[in-house]
Amino acid sequence: MSKIDVRLVREKVENIHALPTIPKVLNKLLGVIENPRVSLNEISNFISGDPALTTKVLRMVNSPVYGFPGRISSVNQAVILLGLTVVKGLLLGVSVFDLMQKTMIGLWEHSIGTAIFSRIIAVRKGHKEPDEVSVNGLLHDIGKVFLVLQFPEEYEKALNETQESGVVIYEAEKNHFNTSHASVGSWMARKWRFPLGLIDVIEYHHKPHLTKNTPLESSIVHIADILVRARGYGFPGDNLIMPVQPEAWELLGLTEKDLVEVLKEAEDSLQMTEDLTL
Amino acid sequence: MPKVTLDNLEPGMKTAKPVVNNTGMVLLGENTELTAELIDRIRNMGVDGVCVHGAARPSKPKEVFLAELDDRFRNVGGDPHMDIVKRAMQIHIEGLYEQN
Repeated sequence: MSKIDVRLVREKVENIHALPTIPKVLNKLLGVIENPRVSLNEISNFISGDPALTTKVLRMVNSPVYGFPGRISSVNQAVILLGLTVVKGLLLGVSVFDLMQKTMIGLWEHSIGTAIFSRIIAVRKGHKEPDEVSVNGLLHDIGKVFLVLQFPEEYEKALNETQESGVVIYEAEKNHFNTSHASVGSWMARKWRFPLGLIDVIEYHHKPHLTKNTPLESSIVHIADILVRARGYGFPGDNLIMPVQPEAWELLGLTEKDLVEVLKEAEDSLQMTEDLTL
Repeated sequence: MPKVTLDNLEPGMKTAKPVVNNTGMVLLGENTELTAELIDRIRNMGVDGVCVHGAARPSKPKEVFLAELDDRFRNVGGDPHMDIVKRAMQIHIEGLYEQN
């Protein structure tokens, strides 16, 4: 079958600013978050200057995805409580919300669900920055948004293949693009100068045993991705599930009892965020 | 603490959060036990959903939920780790229906 040349995909990612399908507001935002020396104040002012963005950020931070539902009333407070890394990731998350809703029904729910599970597992494992792991979960599939937007016809073929051949979208992408949303997402994250940890998790969430830098975080998002699929929450591109990487499983050491508790803990948050539109 | 749509509210449920209409006005306080009259009354007041204590009854029958689970796991049967994930999910689904 004919494939999209991976060099073409890469080139489009590099020129993402010039792409007509990327909304202006997202480009403006990327200009701000790309700057490695941007201060909390600048970010806060940027958000506050845009009422629509302010509403989205506040809805998101007050959602059960984070640990303090209903208590944050100002952007300043959110930025201080969550820190720069989390807020940058969150901003990108809320900005691609519209794109996700338009391009792939259910991908937003899948992303939110993965963020919720990632946070719960990170807390259980005593991770120091569960909110950062949660953002990793929120953005892990960002490469899919790009592929659907830039190559809608080819991506639809990949989506059809999951139905016809019973393969997960990650495999179908490789058949049609010679690459996957994981690699594409990591190129985007690198282009936008996201923290190295986030770039790494996006790249390795399907093969967490291969990362040297973020074995724990990549394993958490990997298993969160599997749990949210197991729960049947949202739509990541197929209605299937891929096997867990044994190394990730060993690393987290979750037992059946642990999993039941994680699922139970996530359930309320999942149900409450089911209708979280930004 | 799930949010339940108005159609699925039943007398005896208790609010887990204040019920507000779309202008933000509080109609019912937290921990109010719903009665048929209260449910009727808030139906016409621009409320999009009510957070209640306890888990909501899932919107589909348990058999459907479990069958969909089997279908999603059809490629990974026999993988020892995925069998554990699936069992945990089955226990979780059973739990969702037991609480009601």
